[in-house]
Amino acid sequence: MYYLAEILPGVRRLRIPLSRDQVMLLMTAFNEYMLAVEIYLAHSISGTIVPYEWIPIIFGPIAGTILILAGLLALRNRPLAMWLAIPTFLSSIVVGLLGAYFHISRALLVFAPAGQRTSISLTIWAPPILAPLTFALVGVLGLSAIWVESPVDSGALILFGGRRLQLPYSKSHGYFLWVSMAMLATLISSVLDHARTNFSNPWLWVPTAAGILGVVVSLGIGLIDKPNRGDIWVYFVSMVVIIVVAVTGSVLHILSNLTVENTIVGERFIRGAPILAPLLYADIAGLGLAVLLDPDETPRAREYLKP
Amino acid sequence: MTEKKSNSVWGASRLLVVALLVIIVVLGLALVVQAIGNAGKPSEVGRVNALANSRDACVECHRQATPGIVDQYGHSSMAGADVICGDCHEVASGYPGSEDHEGANILKSPTTAMCQKCHQQEVAQFAHSRHGIPAYVAFAGSKDLSPELMAQFEAVPEGNFDPNKARNAIFALEGPEITRFACESCHSIGKPAADGSVGQCQKCHLRHEFSLEQARKPETCNNCHIGPDHPQWEIYQESAHGIAYATLGYTWNWDAEPGTLTPNDFPAATCAICHMSGFGGTATTHDVGDRLTWFLAAQVSTRRPAWQDNMVRMQSVCLECHNKEFIDDFYAAADRGVEAVNARVQEADQIIQPLKDQGLLTAAPFDEPIDFIYFENWHHWGRTAKFGMWMQGADYTQWHGAYEMLSDLADLRKLTKEKLQAAEQVQVPAIPPTPTTTP
Repeated sequence: MYYLAEILPGVRRLRIPLSRDQVMLLMTAFNEYMLAVEIYLAHSISGTIVPYEWIPIIFGPIAGTILILAGLLALRNRPLAMWLAIPTFLSSIVVGLLGAYFHISRALLVFAPAGQRTSISLTIWAPPILAPLTFALVGVLGLSAIWVESPVDSGALILFGGRRLQLPYSKSHGYFLWVSMAMLATLISSVLDHARTNFSNPWLWVPTAAGILGVVVSLGIGLIDKPNRGDIWVYFVSMVVIIVVAVTGSVLHILSNLTVENTIVGERFIRGAPILAPLLYADIAGLGLAVLLDPDETPRAREYLKP
Repeated sequence: MTEKKSNSVWGASRLLVVALLVIIVVLGLALVVQAIGNAGKPSEVGRVNALANSRDACVECHRQATPGIVDQYGHSSMAGADVICGDCHEVASGYPGSEDHEGANILKSPTTAMCQKCHQQEVAQFAHSRHGIPAYVAFAGSKDLSPELMAQFEAVPEGNFDPNKARNAIFALEGPEITRFACESCHSIGKPAADGSVGQCQKCHLRHEFSLEQARKPETCNNCHIGPDHPQWEIYQESAHGIAYATLGYTWNWDAEPGTLTPNDFPAATCAICHMSGFGGTATTHDVGDRLTWFLAAQVSTRRPAWQDNMVRMQSVCLECHNKEFIDDFYAAADRGVEAVNARVQEADQIIQPLKDQGLLTAAPFDEPIDFIYFENWHHWGRTAKFGMWMQGADYTQWHGAYEMLSDLADLRKLTKEKLQAAEQVQVPAIPPTPTTTP
């Protein structure tokens, strides 16, 4: 279903140069780059980046570049592009899980007395335990987007050699559910970060509420078999609201890092409120809006779909 | 039938997906609620002994040999971050200054080269500061420095200013039995190690808890910055900043993230806030001279290289609480105060100049009362007066500084006059002047 056209029929007349899956794949490449930048800043906090902290920083640009090359290659040779992209996405999942392990292990004092080995406070003050999973989520998104669904909204993915993989949900519903999980990871990261400040600033409740809204709405629409126009409107407006909250949050983070003289001090931006972190909400909500685009990939994949 | 079975499998897998998603969402939201409930509480690393059940060989043995150290380290943030004993103490075989220890090759006291493995920027800034090699040269002199260390010394503003002033004369006179517990105790903060690295981070970051709060509190600086020659601790206690610390410091945010400090965390200045912490428009530094405009410790104070830049950094700290006019007025007044003290110190030089001209002072240092009075005039009272001005310790500027200088200048005049008269009387019989130097 072309969800966006259901609520804004005029968009059918627009000629969008990219298909929904192409938008998703482009976003994965963009995210690989941006994650590397965000992680570089985050890992700079301690002043020295130790060897394994370089893994995601180096991996991000490499993966992003490969995915862009694969995207260009897909215009002529889709299977070959897929063979390039699939290992990249799988690697992204591995890097994400590995990072999550490293971060979670910092919230565990394995040799501490029983009962004191982990706690919510340790989780709050440890490196963000779910942040590395964004790499894994990007990998999952890429793997979801790369396969053509035929017929549209059937949940049947066409694999190499024409083999079919039937999924319990359609691709659109899968995307919605992916958005809800990514939104949940962002919400938890945001709350854990803001918990360090005791939520002393009342504005910090806004991203918390926005995150819960995003999780519930995207999960809900993902589980509704045939969402009606009202459901789609609620989802659409929620995603737009989250983007507004995210951009506002980023501006507020910048303001919080400026001094009374509005001086830009590098370490305040690195160790203070992370300016890119709120934009993760915008990123996920942007992907959430992309789900509403026309899901029909078949015009661009005729060669691939040939029996 | 087949269609029905397919639908059944389809429905079951959907249910499984829904169940998993609901579990994840409920658990995730529960974590959110828990995190909000625990918001603002400090990290528990420090209250929990991270090494309580460690099977690390060093920990197991030292739990018996030096249990205090193991317990302290178990409560440190470094232990919480999985930094083990060997990361700081263990080095390759043959490493300068290392020794064999229970099958491992270790440094008893890790050098800054070891700290630098993780804290590169901090060590580099420290090495470029007064706390680096100039602190060591102050008592040991520079003649035994290797060319590399000499170059490093000269690169530090204090090294350029005062390459070899021989203030270490007292060190030589007192002898190692005393100086081991005196000069060296503080000035070894900049002592070179066998591996060529300089300094001792542990002078301020006390072993083995390495507590942020401990390093930030002014009592840490009090270890050395105390006493008649540099009574910064006493002056701070007298100042409004020190009073705020003494009365309300227990409410301050001592564990705040470095580089993000604001007046909300520290409503008044501490030693670290002014000289080291990232505060206002100034970034964190371990170069304690990075924000200073004068060589206040010098006999006759002069401006530091690039003092205008340093002043901007220091004033950015001040501006978090004080207005620009107040700060400018204060700086202008304190600058004039420094010049006034300089004039008093130079007056002492003028007073004793005739003795120098006539060879009436002994060549040996600190062998007659006038040497001590002359020295104390600038080294104790002159410095104290200047420090008192900049740190708002009125009593130290007045009674422990300027007043003592007046007194010493009077004494110097008296002693000089007596020496000159004595010399004249000796010269009356028209015999060659008697050497006035003592053996």
